[in-house]
Amino acid sequence: MLAIQLAITGLQTGALYALTAVGFSLIFGSTRIFHFAHGATFVIAAYLFYWVYGTGWGLVPGVLAATLGAVFFGLVLDRLVYVPIQRHEGSFFTVFVASFGVGIAVQNVIGMIFGRGFTSVSTPLSRSAEIIPGVYVSPLAWIAMLCTALLLGGLHFFLRRTHTGAALRALADDPELVRTFGLNPRRIAATAFVVGSALVVPAAIITSATTGLNPTIGHHVMLISLAATIVGGIGSIPGTMLAGLLLGLAESLALLVVDSQWTEAVTFAILFAFIVIRPSGLLGRVVAH
Amino acid sequence: MEAYIYNLVNLIAIYAILAVTLNFIMGYAGIYSLAHAVFFGLGAYVAAWVALHVHPSIFVTLAAAMASAAALSLLLALPALRVRGEYFVAASLGLQVLAVTVFSEWKSFTGGIGGVLAIPPADVFGVEVFKPQHFAIVSLIALIVVIGLINALVHSSFGRNLRAIRDSESAAASFGKNVPMIKTLSVVISAALAAVAGALYASYMSFINVESFTLDTSVLVMAMVIIGGTGTVAGPIVGAALLMLLPSAISWIDFLPQTEVGALQQIIYGLGMTLLMIFRPGGIVGRRAGV
Repeated sequence: MLAIQLAITGLQTGALYALTAVGFSLIFGSTRIFHFAHGATFVIAAYLFYWVYGTGWGLVPGVLAATLGAVFFGLVLDRLVYVPIQRHEGSFFTVFVASFGVGIAVQNVIGMIFGRGFTSVSTPLSRSAEIIPGVYVSPLAWIAMLCTALLLGGLHFFLRRTHTGAALRALADDPELVRTFGLNPRRIAATAFVVGSALVVPAAIITSATTGLNPTIGHHVMLISLAATIVGGIGSIPGTMLAGLLLGLAESLALLVVDSQWTEAVTFAILFAFIVIRPSGLLGRVVAH
Repeated sequence: MEAYIYNLVNLIAIYAILAVTLNFIMGYAGIYSLAHAVFFGLGAYVAAWVALHVHPSIFVTLAAAMASAAALSLLLALPALRVRGEYFVAASLGLQVLAVTVFSEWKSFTGGIGGVLAIPPADVFGVEVFKPQHFAIVSLIALIVVIGLINALVHSSFGRNLRAIRDSESAAASFGKNVPMIKTLSVVISAALAAVAGALYASYMSFINVESFTLDTSVLVMAMVIIGGTGTVAGPIVGAALLMLLPSAISWIDFLPQTEVGALQQIIYGLGMTLLMIFRPGGIVGRRAGV
């Protein structure tokens, strides 16, 4: 029974990891910007929801505020930080440090406003129901899996069937070629930030209602996003999705053998094994170097 | 007041050792590690254990701390040999997260969250050094030795090889350089010297716990290097002094509650890093064009 319980919890966690990581992977894959502040996007969305919903303004305004906040943050960062840096040089390290700095600042500003302790949102959907004897699942688990399936299905359609989606994929291959087709690479990159940041929102909201939040959760989110992107293979959205699910499942099933404080160690062990043995990831085509 | 200033001198010296050793792999080998606090912590715990259970002489504790950090650093060298840039950042971030779990769970060695108490003061040739003004001599000598060592390395053929690898790994390899060996050695040296800072910290504070060796510390040290100037000699020292003075400067603001000093410090250096990258990627000391 415990194994089934943990597998379902693992799928729920994995679905949310997949969403967050795909957001990062989409941005990184198409623009090559190492958007370390993706964790901060998650924190902003989660706390905006916590604040709006917690004040009693209801679910829809909460979701709306979280989405607007996340998208706005992604766009502003692209415009005010990444664009100026890439104008004079675009080395991985410069972009990473700039992004990282913003992440630290956001984490502490949120900590000052909302406090540094754990908080969570309680919703009518948080309560678990017994689906088979000994296995408890809250409606949020189903919502998490459904959200992930719908959004990632939608993303697949967007990338494969629309002009903007095709342009995004083209940007990943060759920004110069995109320019010769009369498209503006900066505009397309901005689209990547909008879509990638918005994908974080359901994960942030559901996490705030299940396992809870604290301002440093951004680091955990980033470790997971990086791990899933690398394990899945850089540039491969299906790979990232698969890896996100895998990491969530592994983290949860590991509880059969180890205590809960070691779950991050499981993530790290998987990541480490992939980096050393198979740096190109599950479905990646580029080699690491 | 005097004790306060000497205390700052000691902390700046200890953190400057960390920044100088991190700069060695970041600036010259192109290895961006978010796990430097792991070696700082390991050095501190090993030194504390040795001082409590074997011998309090600073030469014994330093040697033990350096040897164990060098051994553990092979765990970091392994991914560094396979990948670079973004992949390595992820691997080191993972190692840092894992180390914090180990530091807080391995109670028999690290004392868990409670930490290690009553660590004997540094014993230099039989003299116990426990006053901040006396310890400042020890920590400054250690800093000067570390800077001297790193400088000698950077200007030797080893340093030239490192820079060649940073700029183009395949070119260095095609000139017959043993790339994996050179990279591994640089990681080992950096980690072993970071453990010196840990050993000094343990005997100076006489109390250590996991709080001092978290990701926040790794980030702080990285910020020191970057704000000062990556790949420069003076940069990391300037960065360490600036960021260690920052909390005292902030506490002059009287309307700010004491509990918020740490947060405000992090906000300042976080935004400082971002602004520097936009306007002056070489850091305060570095040239404007960047590294």
